[in-house]
Formats: sequence, structure tokens, C-alpha cells
Amino acid sequence: MEYSNLRRQAAYMKKSLFDQGYLDEQFYQLEELQDDVSPNFVEEVVTLFFRDSARLISNIEQALDKCPQEFSKLNAFVHQLKGSTSSIGASRLKNECTRFRDYCDEENLEGCLKSFQKLKREHAVLRQKLESYFQLLRQVGPVEKATRPSM
Amino acid sequence: MDPSRAAASTASSGRPRDGVGPPPDFPAGLRVLVVDDDPTCLKILDRMLRKCLYDVTTCTRAAAALAMLRERRGAFDVVLSDVYMPDMDGFKLLEHIGLEMDLPVIMMSADDGRDVVMKGVTHGACDYLIKPVRMEALRNIWQHVVRKRRNELKELEHSGSAEENDRQKRALEDGDNASSASEGNWKNVKRRKDGKEEEEVEEREDPSTLKKPRVVWSVDLHQQFVAAVNQLGVDKAVPKKILELMKVPRLTRENVASHLQKYRLYLRRLSVPQHEARLDTPYTGASEATFRSVGSFDGLDTQALAVSGQFPPQSLTTLHSGPRRVTTTGIGLPSIDQVGFFNSSAQMANASNIRPAMMQQMNNKQLNFLSGPSTNMESGQHGQSQQLVESYGNMGLRVGEGASGFFNLPSSQRTSTSFPGGTINVNLSNSLPMQMTQQGQQFSVCQQQNRIHISMPRQLQTREQLLNEILGEYDSRLSTPMGHQILSNEVSGHVSGRGRSNMNVRTSLREGYMNASSYGPLSHALYADFSNSGMNESTGSCYPLASGAGTTNFTSIGMLQEALPPVGNVETLGNSVSVKGANDFVPDYDLLSDVRQSKSQDWKSQNIDVSYQSAQQLGSKQSNIDFGSSRLAHEDSIAAIKDDKSRNACTVRKEIFSVRTEIEHEKGDCTAQRNGTILVENSLRVMAEGMSDLSYQEVLFDDNIIQNELMNVVGKKQQEGVGQVDPEFNFDGYSWDDIQV
Repeated sequence: MEYSNLRRQAAYMKKSLFDQGYLDEQFYQLEELQDDVSPNFVEEVVTLFFRDSARLISNIEQALDKCPQEFSKLNAFVHQLKGSTSSIGASRLKNECTRFRDYCDEENLEGCLKSFQKLKREHAVLRQKLESYFQLLRQVGPVEKATRPSM
Repeated sequence: MDPSRAAASTASSGRPRDGVGPPPDFPAGLRVLVVDDDPTCLKILDRMLRKCLYDVTTCTRAAAALAMLRERRGAFDVVLSDVYMPDMDGFKLLEHIGLEMDLPVIMMSADDGRDVVMKGVTHGACDYLIKPVRMEALRNIWQHVVRKRRNELKELEHSGSAEENDRQKRALEDGDNASSASEGNWKNVKRRKDGKEEEEVEEREDPSTLKKPRVVWSVDLHQQFVAAVNQLGVDKAVPKKILELMKVPRLTRENVASHLQKYRLYLRRLSVPQHEARLDTPYTGASEATFRSVGSFDGLDTQALAVSGQFPPQSLTTLHSGPRRVTTTGIGLPSIDQVGFFNSSAQMANASNIRPAMMQQMNNKQLNFLSGPSTNMESGQHGQSQQLVESYGNMGLRVGEGASGFFNLPSSQRTSTSFPGGTINVNLSNSLPMQMTQQGQQFSVCQQQNRIHISMPRQLQTREQLLNEILGEYDSRLSTPMGHQILSNEVSGHVSGRGRSNMNVRTSLREGYMNASSYGPLSHALYADFSNSGMNESTGSCYPLASGAGTTNFTSIGMLQEALPPVGNVETLGNSVSVKGANDFVPDYDLLSDVRQSKSQDWKSQNIDVSYQSAQQLGSKQSNIDFGSSRLAHEDSIAAIKDDKSRNACTVRKEIFSVRTEIEHEKGDCTAQRNGTILVENSLRVMAEGMSDLSYQEVLFDDNIIQNELMNVVGKKQQEGVGQVDPEFNFDGYSWDDIQV
């Protein structure tokens, strides 16, 4: 019971992540890649993502601090970020990246700064949400994908 | 990502490719080298490729990748590389690989800008994938390997060696590597920017079945070719000269000639993106024909339309355009038929202002629609056109969209011209659905509406007759302006023949369709609430709608009589009217009253005008409402028609109207209204007329049943009360004011 409850919770959490636009269908692709050979694939990728994206974000922050006018550099950073966010299906974050990049293209520093703040926030929120999600999944155990309770 | 892994993987699968052919379990075991500086992407790609049973080696640095490639020649089959990398530009890497190892390289990037993709192509990439990369895209990358191999073989052989080589070459030449950037395949590039691996081998032609040495039109070669062609001028380029300019050894004139041919085709395709339909032409032609007749209406219609805002000129355009798109299949052409149809209706159309406008639009569209596969109405394309298309498709009901439901209801081909005036019962219904939705009304119903009677411009006279016929009982009165809207709605509702007085506003077109008095209240009723059957009742089939509920309904009313063309409008009107009706009743009334005067024709036109106007007013509202109502109306009308001409209008209306108020919910109600098939039909017609009410269309669509019914009704009506229409259309004492809801 508890098991299936947890599972339901996890499913619900996942669904809400999708509904709220945090994740998009690329995330499903990731899930499909998970199997016996790579049982924790999704979590691994996500962890990797957050590590890498944190680095990129701090790079951007530094760049904005020190050489804010180098829009092309900013652009390059955010492009990278965008690539990985879209790869894991982080939809909202990706959109924010797009907006940031647009500001860069316009060389609108103020816009960039504002957008960057949003970007950081989205990043933090997504991280937290996914962390809880995976935590829940871990509790549920490997059968979370199964349709029938294995308890 | 980790060279160690790469090493391991390569070692394990280091089967040298000696060109003898793929291993038996191919593509499993394909040796892929992935280069991407993003670890997340790399990990994902790695996993995906492994799932495809490929041998994967990953690298984060381009330089390292290059080194690896150099060290282990023949150890890889294909390279996947990201475009933006910190240490080296992906394109540079691409070039290197191409020059040194001649391996197929696939580029990847989140950037899907055309220029970038083009760059990939020109640099020789086999394909270009857009991130995020999906598994499906990766599954097929093996084809590039095979293709390249074959090409190499061919080149080696250098002469019509194996036939398969030829084919390979051809494939290569034709370019269709499924993905976008196939070498030398400009088509692909253009098409598949996102690197979808669709095997669209467009040109599978066989330029030379002879055993000629197959020329591989590599990117470079093609570029040279293009340069030469441009230098000479695309039109003036001849193979001989191109050959001279290119100065490529071993290239024959025939090679160039065939390539040039393909190139020209390609260019042509580029410049004519959507002319498949070429509907425009037919439309215009057809429409013109019809317009002529409609001409008289045109003035009216356009005005009406303009007024009603239903068919703004643009809609016409759209219509044109629309049909094109939509009808590529046939609407355009058939329009000729329709044209004829319209013509006839056009005659009637004097009054049918709506009609003319609609006609025009309709013509364009309708013609298209009518004639063609109504389904084409896929109007989705342009709001306006759609409308027309829709209507046409649906029977022109759709018109609604922009054109407020031009009602032309392109309903399918049914052009049951039962409406003398203009209810073109085009059973286009197909397309309607599409358009309907535009307004949000979901005219998707249209499809069903094959039977939609396109009540196109109700040439009042004819229309009336039609309406009459249809409505039988429908009081054409209703159809008049007020009724239009209401009618449309109501008609549908009323048409159900229930004689629900209100709705039947128009059904009783015969009775003097526009019985003002009756309409007056009807109109109100229509709008305010169909339940005011009082209105209808008095008029018999006056569709309150028609009464000019300010809304186009009226038109439908008029239509009801005849062929319910007004109904169409009415319906739309009704629908819209219902909602709007109440509001905008007034204006229509006036029109209606005028219309009445003219009776047969006048009211029609007026109706149309009215309807349009009202429609306009209702316009926005209508769409939604009408939709609902139209649906109902439609159903009703149809039903009505079937049941009993007389009743239909009124009853239908009522129901429709009331329904309409909710409009959103109406749809459901519409079905209830089935009874008023006749009405529905009328309304449909009315709607078609241009009641931008998509809803009408909806109504129409929904009403397959209705249509059927309507058809029945109409048929009957025709027989019965053709003559009555006129008198009935006079809205005696019909005062819109009264009708005001």
C-alpha cells in the first residue's frame, strides 16, 4: 500500500512537472533510455546536467560582472546551456535561455540581467523539484515504472 | 566523453571495414564517434546510440577526436559532431574529416537556423540533426554509411559498374539522404533542416539506366555547378556551357544535363510552394462567373459583408487563397459547377447581398469547394478563406470565420441547389470543420455537413423559395434580417421543423418570411431566447433568427424560405444572434424591414445585409454563439426540414436560440434541435451566406443529419413552397424593433 502510494505520489509529481511546463517530452526520451543496463540513467543524467549547468551559469554570471558587453561570449555560454537543457527536456529553463539569448542578440544588457536572474531562479526551482522527485523514486524503488505493485 | 571508454569500445569492435560490405548484423555494431563538449548531451547520445546497438566512442574535444581518427583509421564508420565547440569549430572538424578520412559526418546543434544548416551542407555534412536529438533520428544514421560506401565504390569503379552502384549513385545524386544535408542534395537541405531522417528520396529518377560512369554530385561539385549556372544565368544555362565553365575532368555533358534538369525542378519547386491547388485560378474563373450573376449582389454583398464584417474583402481573398489551399483538390475546379450554381443563385441574389459577397467569396471558395472535394475546405488556411472554404467545404457554412461564415457552405459537393437563391447545398461539409474551428467554433462539424446547403446569397427570390421549400413552414419572415441571425440559429433550431414557433421563424418563410411582426418578436425571441416561440409562432416558421435578430440570422431566415440560404446565415446569425442577437438586433431589423419590402429579393439581400450586419455585430459573439446555435440550428433546421417544413423554423429557432445563448454549450443542444432540420438548413444557408458564424458551419457540420434532413426537407420544400417564398419574405409589419430582444 505504502508502496503504491509512493508510486502514485511519484507519478503525480511527475505529471505536475509536465503540466506546469517544467519538463517536456524530451524527458520521456530519457526515461526510455533507462533500463536494466542503466537503471538510474535518468537520475544520472539529471545530476550531470545540474552540475554542468551550474558551472555554465556561474560562467555567465562572471561574464556579466566583468565583461558584460561581450555579448557574443554570453551568447556562446547560453547556447551551450540551452543545448543541455533541451536535451533533458527542461522546458521552462530552455525558454528562459532563449529569452536570454535574444537579449544578448539585441545587446540589451538590462534585459540580459533580468533574464539571467529569472534563469537562475528557474534553474534552482527545477533542481529542487527534480531532486525531490528522484528522492521519491528512490523510495519507491526500481519498480516505479511497473504498473503493478511488486510488494 | 571519456576516451577510455572510447578506446574500449573501439577496441572491442574494431572491425576494419574493408569495404566488402556491412556485417551481417548491420547496423548493429556500427562504429560511431561522437564529439560534443556538453557532457549531458554526450551522455544521452551515448546511451541512445548504444540502445541502437552501435559501437560508441565519445569525445568532448574536437582535437582529441581528430587525433583518434587519425590514429585509428578505419576504426570508425560515422562521426557525430556538435557544431559549437570551444576548441574547434564543428565545421572545421567536418572539413578535416572529410578531407582526411572521408567518413560520413553528421552535425548536431540546438541551432536550427537555416544558415547554419546550409553551412553544414556546404561543408559536406551528411546530415544535420537538431537538438534535442531523438532516438529515432539516431537510428537511421547507418544509411549514411552505406550510402557513402557505395558512392566510394562507384567512384572507384568509375564506370557503370554494378547496377547497384548506379543506383546508389543515383540515390546519392538525387540526393535524398533522408536527412537534411545530404551531399549534393540541395533538396534535402532545404527540406530537412532538422535532420529528420526521413527517407525522402525525391528524385528517384533514373537519369541514366545506361552504364555510364555515375557521377557523384558532391557538395563541391554541385557548388561549382551552381556557380556556373548562375554565371550563365539560370535560364540560359546549357549543359555544354556549364561543362565548360566547370572544367571538371571526366564530367560529361550528359551528367551535367541531367543534373541541370534536376536542379531546375528543384528551383521550380522552391518558387511555387503552394500552388498545388491553383485553385485560385479556377476560383477566380469560377467565381467570376458566378459573380457576374452575383454581381448584383456583389454590391450588396460586399457591403453586407462588409457590414457584417463577415466577409470582408479579405475574406474574399482568403477565400481565394483559401480554397487554393484547401481545395487544391478540387474545390477550385468544381467551383465551376458551383459557379453555375451560384449563378443561378446569383440571379436570385439580387437581394442576397450576402450572397454576392459571399458568392464572391464563396465563389472562389465555393467554387472550389463545391466543385471540388468539399473536403478540401480545409480551410484552416485562412481564416477568411476558410470561412468560405469551410462553408463551401461544408457547404460553405464555414464561411463564418472571417467572413462570418460566408456560409457558402462549401458543403460538399452537394450543391444541391435547392435553394434557388443560393443555398448551395454544397455538401462540402468536409472542409468546414477546419474552418469552423477558426472561429473557435469548431466547425469541424462541417465535414459532416456535406449537405450543407449553401445558401449562399440568398437571392431572396430563389432563396425564399428555397427556404420555403425547405422550411416549408419556415417563415421566411424570420429569415429576414433578424432572422438571419436568429434564424440561422434558430432556424437550425426551428428548422427542426418543429414549428416551434420561435425558431421556425423562417421556416415559414412561405408565410411571408419576413413577417415583421412575427419576426419582430421572433427576432427577439431568437436572440433573447428562442423560447419566445411566440415570435416564431406567429410567423409560423419565422425563425426568430431571421427576424433579423440583428444578426445574420436573418439571412438565414430568408434562406429558410428558399433554400434556407438565409438560414444559413440565420443560423450563423442565429447562433451568433442568439448571443448577439439580443444585442444587435436593432440594426438588423431595419434591414429586415426593408427586406421585407422587397420580399423576395429584397429581403434577401437585406437579410443578407442584415445578417451580415448583424452578423457583424454579432460577429464576435456569433462565432461562438453561432457555432453553438448554428449547430443547433443546423440540426434543427435539418430536422425541421425534415419534419415539417413549417415547424421547423420556429421550433428550431427557439431551441437554437436558447441554446445559443450558451453557445458554448450549444452544440450539445443543437442536436436537440435536430428537428428543425429545415431550419437548420436554412440557417445553414444563412450562415453560409456569410454569416461569419462559423458556428453556423458548425451547425452545419454537425449536421450531417441535419443536412440529410435538410436535404430532404429542401427537396420537399422546393416542391412545395417555392412560390411562397416571396410573399413570405415580406416582413409585414416586421419591425425589427420589435424583435429586439
